[in-house]
Amino acid sequence: MSQYQFILRRLLQGILVIWGVVTLVFLLRYMTPGNPVDFVAPLDAGQETRDQVAADLGLDQPVYVQYFDYLFGLIQGDMGYSFIRSQPASSIIFARLPATIELALAATIVAIIFSIPLGVISATRRHEPADYAATSFSLVGISTPNFWLGIMLILLVSVGLGILPTSRRPIGFVPAMEMFIFQLEIQGIRTWIAHMILPAVTLGTYFTAMIVRLTRSGMLDELGKSYVLATRAKGVPETLVRYKHVLRNTMIPIITVLGLQLGTLIGGAVITEFVFNWPGLGTLIINAIDVRDWPIIQGSLIVIGVGFVIINIAVDALYAKLNPKVSYE
Amino acid sequence: MPSIPDSRANTEGGCEMIQKPLLRVRDLETRFFTEEGQVNAVEKLTLDIHDGEVFGIVGESGSGKSVTARSVLGLLESPGRVTGGELWYRDETFADTVRADHPDAVDGDYVDLESLPSNVRRTLRGTHFSMIFQDPMSSLNPSIPVGEQIAEAVEAQRRARANPRSVASRTQGYGLSQYLMSTVMGSRKYVKSESLERAVELLELVGIPDAPLRAKEYPHEYSGGMLQRAMIAQALAGEPKVLIADEPTTALDVTIQAQILDLLTELQEETGMTILLITHNLGVVARMCDRVGVMYAGEIVERGTLADVFDDPVHPYTQGLLGSIPDLEGIGARLQPIPGNVPSLLDHEMGGRCYFADRCPKAMEECLEHPPEFDVDGSSHHATRCYLAETTYSEARALDADYFGSAEPLEDAADEPVEPARSDGGNTEEDSR
Repeated sequence: MSQYQFILRRLLQGILVIWGVVTLVFLLRYMTPGNPVDFVAPLDAGQETRDQVAADLGLDQPVYVQYFDYLFGLIQGDMGYSFIRSQPASSIIFARLPATIELALAATIVAIIFSIPLGVISATRRHEPADYAATSFSLVGISTPNFWLGIMLILLVSVGLGILPTSRRPIGFVPAMEMFIFQLEIQGIRTWIAHMILPAVTLGTYFTAMIVRLTRSGMLDELGKSYVLATRAKGVPETLVRYKHVLRNTMIPIITVLGLQLGTLIGGAVITEFVFNWPGLGTLIINAIDVRDWPIIQGSLIVIGVGFVIINIAVDALYAKLNPKVSYE
Repeated sequence: MPSIPDSRANTEGGCEMIQKPLLRVRDLETRFFTEEGQVNAVEKLTLDIHDGEVFGIVGESGSGKSVTARSVLGLLESPGRVTGGELWYRDETFADTVRADHPDAVDGDYVDLESLPSNVRRTLRGTHFSMIFQDPMSSLNPSIPVGEQIAEAVEAQRRARANPRSVASRTQGYGLSQYLMSTVMGSRKYVKSESLERAVELLELVGIPDAPLRAKEYPHEYSGGMLQRAMIAQALAGEPKVLIADEPTTALDVTIQAQILDLLTELQEETGMTILLITHNLGVVARMCDRVGVMYAGEIVERGTLADVFDDPVHPYTQGLLGSIPDLEGIGARLQPIPGNVPSLLDHEMGGRCYFADRCPKAMEECLEHPPEFDVDGSSHHATRCYLAETTYSEARALDADYFGSAEPLEDAADEPVEPARSDGGNTEEDSR
């Protein structure tokens, strides 16, 4: 099976998965307490007004009608209107999406840049001070809760030292780049980076710590295999043994974890986003839950689900490329 | 400048002794520093290996055979370390190359590998010393095509030849930055296309059909025998002078074993390389080797030509080993196992006695003191670490059967019905009672 057939097949499977997600998310509305009408209608509204509001929101229809309406709307890219703000849910969600993706990618990049070299050093200098430092860091990193780390960083770095801003970034990555390219103005990028550092570190610390551990144990595992001895025996430089042979094989399982973790970062940055008042999907979902704004909640969850599926397909394809024992099947 | 200890092989004649040995191992000691204590894996090992011969090291599992091989190659991993001894390797060109930087390590044509820093030592791998391993399936990287792995060995050798002085550089001209560059730019790759072509030739040389195609395949697409051929191709890529074969056929089917041994013999005749063959299989030794060393508890307990050791064994351990081979003539008879197990090799458990005394059917009072190496019958090429080379066994001086504790293997042996299974060595237990 060729690579393209493989990806096509995974895409079709992915669509099925997403359909499942949509259905679950839709049903969620009927399994959770709280009626959106309570939030939309005035507090002293009579039954008549409430019925009118329900009819406006389409909530008077039978469930299956609502379900198929929603499904067909979704196929056309329509996620319905926000109950609270009279805007299409999709435009609200997609306005928030870049901030979340930027944060997730920044955290991942921070994690990769620090974790893999640390893991390599830790494994190749086993039982030396560098190894102890790296393993201690990863232990602390894994056991530190995100929200606490975020608050502490704000207190220490932003409030205490007054170096980096705490919240509400004024500019996204794309506008910042546009500013740079068209006006040769670097200020936008600097602001973007300044606002990105603390959230990315907060979100990436656990991730970094986890990958340090994975890299270390994976590399130690690989270093003990007899092909390493055989490769050294044939006179290949140690650099090549370490990186081309050992690290590459270590990366095979790490790629999988990285991909899955990136998926959870997109959805799971909720707390970090909230702490830093980050204009992303996480804060959007929390605010929408507060007011039972179901089109926003549903839409956001579906977008996150789609992100998960796409990342998993990419990881599978990459995995098959790295590991010749796995064929595209 | 250290002097080379006098080698009996040089002073006394003998047809194969005229030449100076290629490798002189003197009192090599390898220790493992584990949590349970110090393990003496190789103990005062002394050996001469000559140009173009096949030298076999036989012994049970855990006797230190593989550690010896790795010590010679300088490939020990922590917590293992060579703690003493010298390893003189004769190569004029190499001696000239290192003389300036490491005058203490050079004596005439000989270089003491143990006194060279590890980065210089590394450059000998592939080009002078090479190794094949027991399990070909795990000895090749599963995620790199076989051809490319062989080409790496070719490339390592090509680069070493092109610039012999690069022995001094830590990265051998290939550091992390070069590697990172190569991941982006194909032209900076370590393996060049000429080396890949040479790898295909090597695969053809070791008898792999459709070599150009198979070079692109991954190890899991090969059969065990084919993979061992590929391993041999990889080991030969650097045209090494010494090939260390560590149990090369143990993981293979019997029919494939024979093919691999034939291939090794054939290649050895063609290239004239020296083979250090490590095995527990006496059949393989009998078939391949010119000279043999029998290893027990980290020591060579008996060494000599194949005929010396097989036809005229002196050490009871050698006799016991030979007694444990199944024999077609004695079908139905019970084999004679050597009672007991190989000692743990833990330093504090070894003591000063002969290490084999607790399993030896002929242990005597003398054996409580560690035996030196004796020449057998005044022969210069047959030596053993056993008092029996000089004295005859006498029951008057024999140690009690339970001298070494209650779980005395001699008791077990006595309980077994001793049948006249073997012509040689097999009846030693009876002698001892």
